[in-house]
Formats: sequence, structure tokens, C-alpha cells
Amino acid sequence: MQVRPDVLFSVANFPVTNAVAATIISDVVVVLFVLAINRVVSLEPTPLQNAVEMVIDYFIKITEEIAGERASFICPWVLSFFIFMLISNLIAQLPGFELIILKMPMSKSCNKVPLLRAASTDLNFTLALAVISVVVTHYLSIKCAGIKAYFTRFITFRIFPVFLFVGILEFLNEITKIISFSFRLFGNILSGERIMATMYGIFPLGLPLPFMLLEFLVAIIQAMIFAMLTLVFMHIMTDKPHTI
Amino acid sequence: MEITQKFGLEVKLFLFQIVNFLVIAFILKKFLYVPLKKILDERKSKIEKSLLESDSAKIILENAKKEKEKLLFEAKNNAATLIETARVSIVEAKKRAIAEAARNSERILDDAKQRAAEEFEIMNNQVEKMSIDVSKKIILRILSDLFSNDEKQKLISRALKKIDEKIKN
Repeated sequence: MQVRPDVLFSVANFPVTNAVAATIISDVVVVLFVLAINRVVSLEPTPLQNAVEMVIDYFIKITEEIAGERASFICPWVLSFFIFMLISNLIAQLPGFELIILKMPMSKSCNKVPLLRAASTDLNFTLALAVISVVVTHYLSIKCAGIKAYFTRFITFRIFPVFLFVGILEFLNEITKIISFSFRLFGNILSGERIMATMYGIFPLGLPLPFMLLEFLVAIIQAMIFAMLTLVFMHIMTDKPHTI
Repeated sequence: MEITQKFGLEVKLFLFQIVNFLVIAFILKKFLYVPLKKILDERKSKIEKSLLESDSAKIILENAKKEKEKLLFEAKNNAATLIETARVSIVEAKKRAIAEAARNSERILDDAKQRAAEEFEIMNNQVEKMSIDVSKKIILRILSDLFSNDEKQKLISRALKKIDEKIKN
């Protein structure tokens, strides 16, 4: 079973994979979606604006509940993660998304490769989002709690060497966050994709339908989990560390 | 490394995904989050303002109700006072009218008495005149049998003179 995405072609030494193609499609959809919203935005909302407002309002409220006054810094990031991940995951659930097959004589793995592949099934994509999430969390931590409080979280000589060890664990925790963020999303979406491919292979008429619904749910839930975890980590990191 | 090759990890793709997401996050923040947050805040403040206005309207309504009740109470009191005043006025007017009627009736009675007295006087004079005429006629009839015409004339003139004197007296 191949885990890595297939390279479709290269542009100036940059390998354009089928996951990158799906990412670009997601980008286009996001931009069109934003433009569509921006054109109709008014105090008397259209049904589309209403739906988006509902989502944004939900995120604003939940961020304010968790992070309080720091919500204005945190919410745009959490919302961006959710919307981008949701759209890229949902696009991959469209029937026939991976059915456009290209014949690639230059491909090392096989001759036939799908033109598109879910962006979240590329570890580069999930890892990039995870790294951005963690780096932005640290940036907001310095911005909100101050640089001294930020470093105190990792290096402190109180009750030596207990808190020094706790600091090392905190540091390891940050690395673990990246790994858990990236592999959770990657694993869930990739496994869903493989299940769908298997179901299509067994009996394409009807059998994939319940799994499509399940994957549809997984796509939404994974985007939500990523956004919520980012929110919680940002809240924890932007909060001033508790002293004994 | 074998694991990075197996998962297809590449620095270029990784950096592309980072830049790509940062651009998307910027677009989402600038063109979706900020305008919609502004709209949500505007709507929220509008709703809060409307709620405040409705609260103040409620207070105004309550005040108006109180004012209305107060005015109604005052009007009722005024009406009762007016009715009482009117009743007193009517009683007084009635008394005045009765007194006036009594005065008028007395005046009419006096007038009638005066007129009756005048009528009585006139009648008395007429009766007196008539009695003189009748006396004249009786005397003439009686005397026409006893005396001659000359004597009659003398007696009549003498009697008439006496009557005239008596009348004059």
C-alpha cells in the first residue's frame, strides 16, 4: 500500500503531487467561498451568510468561553484551521474525486495514478498545519503572557530539579503535539480513503454509501478536533503559568 | 531517511503547504473573519440598543399608564365635585325660581286686586249713574200723574239741582 502521494509533474524542480493539486483546488474553493460571502455580506443576511455567521459565531463564543479576552487573537487561527481543513476534507469526499486516473509512464510506483488525492492524506499537509498550529501557539504565548512567562514554562529552577524536569516534559509535549496533530489527521483521512477504495472495489453499487456518510462525518469531526485542540493548546499556552 | 521517503515527506512540499496555509489563513482572516465579526458586533450592538430602547419604551409606557390612571382618578374626582356643585346650584336655582314665582304671583295678585278695585270703582260710578237715571225715570212717571207739566218741570229741576248738589258734595 502506497502512503506517499504521487508526483504528477514538476515545475522548476518543485514536485506537483496529486495531494498538492487537491490542496490548490481547496485553495480555489476557499477563495471563491470567501469572495461569495464577501459579496453578499450585510446586516440583513442571506441564507449563505447566515450559515457562515452561525459557524463563526459558534467559534467566537466557544473561544471567548475558553480563552476570554485572548479570543480575538486565537479565534481567527482556529477558524482558519477549521474552514480550510473542512473544505479540503469535504472536497475529497466528493464521489469520483480519486477516479480520474492519469497514465504516468515516468512514475516509479505504477503506471496509473489518480489525478487528485485528499490533501489530508499527504503528511506534508498535516505536518505543515501541525507545525503552524504549534508555532503560532508559541508566538501567541510570548505575545500574551510575555517572554519571561514563556521561558519559565520550560526552564525554571524552582524546587530543583523537579520543575526543570517538568520543563523538559513540557518541551517534549510540544513535539508530541506536532506528531499527534499531524498523524491523527493523516491516519484518519488516509484510512477512510483506503476503506472507500476497498468498498468500491468489492461492490461499487450501494456498498460505499454508508462508508461515504461515515467518512463525511469523519471529515467534519477531524477538522473540528484539530481546531478545538489548537484552541485548547493556545488557551493553555497564552495563560500565565501557575506558580506554587 | 527511509521513513520520510515512505511518507513522502519533502522539504519543498512541506514549505509549500506552510506558505499555502498562511496565505489562506490571511485571506480567511482579512476577508471572512473580520467583516463577519464586524457585522456580528454591529448586529449585537443594534440588538442591545433595541433592547435598551424597548426597556425605556416599557418604562415610558408604564409612566403613561400611571399618568393615565392619575388623570382618570383626577377626572373622576372633578366629575364628582362638578356633579355636587351642579346639584347645589340646581337646588339654589330651584329655591330662587320658587321665590321668584312667589314674588311674581304676589305682584300679579296685587295687580289683579288693583284692577278689581278700579273695575269696582268704574262699576260703582256706572251703577250710580244708572240709579240716577232710573230714579229720574221713576220720579218722572210718578210725578206725571200728580202734577202738571210746569210743576213737574219745576220739581224735576229742583230735584235735579238737589241731586247735582249732592253729587257735587
